[in-house]
Amino acid sequence: MKKNLLTIIISAVLAVIFVLLLFTFQVRTSEVAVVTTFGRTTREITEPRAFPFFKWPWPIQKVYKLDKRIQNFEDKFTEAFTADGNNLLTQVYVGWRITDAKAFFPKFAGGSTVAAERLLEDIVTAAKQSRVGQHPLGELVNADPRQLKFDAIEAEIRAQAQAQLALQNCGISIDYLGIKRLGLPESVTQSVFDRMTAERKGLADKLDAEGQAEARKIKSSADLAASKVISTAESKAREIRASGETVAADLLPAFQQNPELANFLSSLETLEASTRSKTTLIFDSRTLPFNLFTGSVTNK
Amino acid sequence: MSNEQPTPQPTTPVDSGSQALAEALRSSFSIVKFVMLALFVVFLFSGFFTVGPQEKAIKLRFGKPVGEGEQALLGSGAHWAWPYPIDEVIRIPITEIQEVRARANWFLQSSLQEARGEIPPAPMGTPLNPAIDGYALTGDGNIVHVKATLRYRIEDPVRCVFQFTVGTNETYSLAGISNAVQNMLENALVHTAASFKMDDALFDKIAFQDAVQRRVSKLVQDHKLGLVVDQCVVETRQPRQLDDAFKRVTDAGQRNRMAITEANTYRNQVLSRADADAAAAVDAAQTEKTFMVDRLTTDVASFRKLLPAYQSNPALFKQLRLIETMGRVFTNVQDKMYLPTTPDGKATELRLLLNRELPKQKTETAP
Repeated sequence: MKKNLLTIIISAVLAVIFVLLLFTFQVRTSEVAVVTTFGRTTREITEPRAFPFFKWPWPIQKVYKLDKRIQNFEDKFTEAFTADGNNLLTQVYVGWRITDAKAFFPKFAGGSTVAAERLLEDIVTAAKQSRVGQHPLGELVNADPRQLKFDAIEAEIRAQAQAQLALQNCGISIDYLGIKRLGLPESVTQSVFDRMTAERKGLADKLDAEGQAEARKIKSSADLAASKVISTAESKAREIRASGETVAADLLPAFQQNPELANFLSSLETLEASTRSKTTLIFDSRTLPFNLFTGSVTNK
Repeated sequence: MSNEQPTPQPTTPVDSGSQALAEALRSSFSIVKFVMLALFVVFLFSGFFTVGPQEKAIKLRFGKPVGEGEQALLGSGAHWAWPYPIDEVIRIPITEIQEVRARANWFLQSSLQEARGEIPPAPMGTPLNPAIDGYALTGDGNIVHVKATLRYRIEDPVRCVFQFTVGTNETYSLAGISNAVQNMLENALVHTAASFKMDDALFDKIAFQDAVQRRVSKLVQDHKLGLVVDQCVVETRQPRQLDDAFKRVTDAGQRNRMAITEANTYRNQVLSRADADAAAAVDAAQTEKTFMVDRLTTDVASFRKLLPAYQSNPALFKQLRLIETMGRVFTNVQDKMYLPTTPDGKATELRLLLNRELPKQKTETAP
């Protein structure tokens, strides 16, 4: 009998599990569930709860679970003309998710996100091209932040795509949209390169010219400064000499006492100074003290 | 079910056929019981699971994560959960460092080439095919290549895993969030390039990098990605086709700096020479002055000393001084020629050939 009780418990548990599996389901926090009754969408469950959800077993009711997480998606790099006639390539990325499973589910076979992304791509690309066409290139690329309307254009594309999605009632909403790439057609890149090359050449020439001009400026200012220094020094030297002459002028009156002696002394000094070296002196017997020779020679 | 089990009466005589049937039923039923027990055990033990070192797990109870934020993450080791449909375990491959690389706006370069620092050549005159090489447009309408590597930390793993996915991927991983971050990083690069002048983008890389990081951090915050940007490394580069043109500018810059350096050297030389010359001129004047004043002072002194002697007998004084001086002069003089007076007392005629080229040589003829 005891053995039978154990058997009964185990069977009961297994039966409960079987029933649970057959009649209940759970919805993950990242999922949204759609319940169909005989093929018609009857219920939508968006949030999990603390106990399982009930359903009638197949073939009465069927549960489809859709991923309601944000899906990342990007469109193709396509060309569009800007308002000022530039051919511009753009690519955007989109974060989208299912917000209305009841609307989404019948729209796309079996809730296929692949089919949804195909539609999304068409809508996003159309919105992108129409919005880019409303703006000149200078509003997408501009070094002046007041003229740059990058964020505004992104918001416009998103708003237009969102409006289109709402119009089609497909249960999708766009969480974020951003430009991923901007480009020019291949043929245009070459002319941009040509312009950039010319700019670089101009810049190189400018640098060369500026360097030389600057060098010349530095050199001439140096020459000017040097000549100023020299002329200042020369005038200072003149001043010094003049002050020396002033001192001399103060001393000169001393010689007034006897100008003759003064002349004599200065003559002597000059004589001595001028015959200091490499001098050939020719003299005759009248020169002092050689006049002493005179007598002896003539006496012979 | 157990009432189906036949209860054979040992007292009732049975034929061997029904005996065999009862035997078979008993044995098959015990097999069923064993299977049931095994299923039960398996059901209970299916609750145990282990988490490896390179992954984390999140336990869902009736679809809701158990725990919040970091606490929802189960680390490596053994854990237990109720079996489905009560609990569900989701494993997430996760590493310490989360990193995304944005290369959509960079030219085609394999990761091997990138690791080696090799740049695939692109000669001047080759246009950029947008299907192959990526690039960004700058605010002044030029073309630059930009790439970035972003490192970030997951702050809210539950949000990252349960709010983001990529493509039609049903599994749970961080692929969705890293895809979103990558797109936003590309957007930050394109936006920053579009608002920078080319020269600033290329040569003020720190400012460019800061702007990219600010933009991507803002996008991440605005869209509540549940992560924190740690570090953003950005690289910008001119198109390879224009390398030569850019090199010419660099060379010109070098020449520019060289010319200025040379000019500065010249200035220093000229100024220091001028200073030296000026000092020399002043010194010379000073020396001259000192010399003149000293000499004059000495002269005045000796004049005063000699004056009394002179005044007592001017002629004798003069003669004595002259002889004394002549003595010194004759000692110093190199060549001395004596012309004796002719007996007739006539002056002797003397002819001298003067070499003009020896200006230092002084000749003096005494009368």
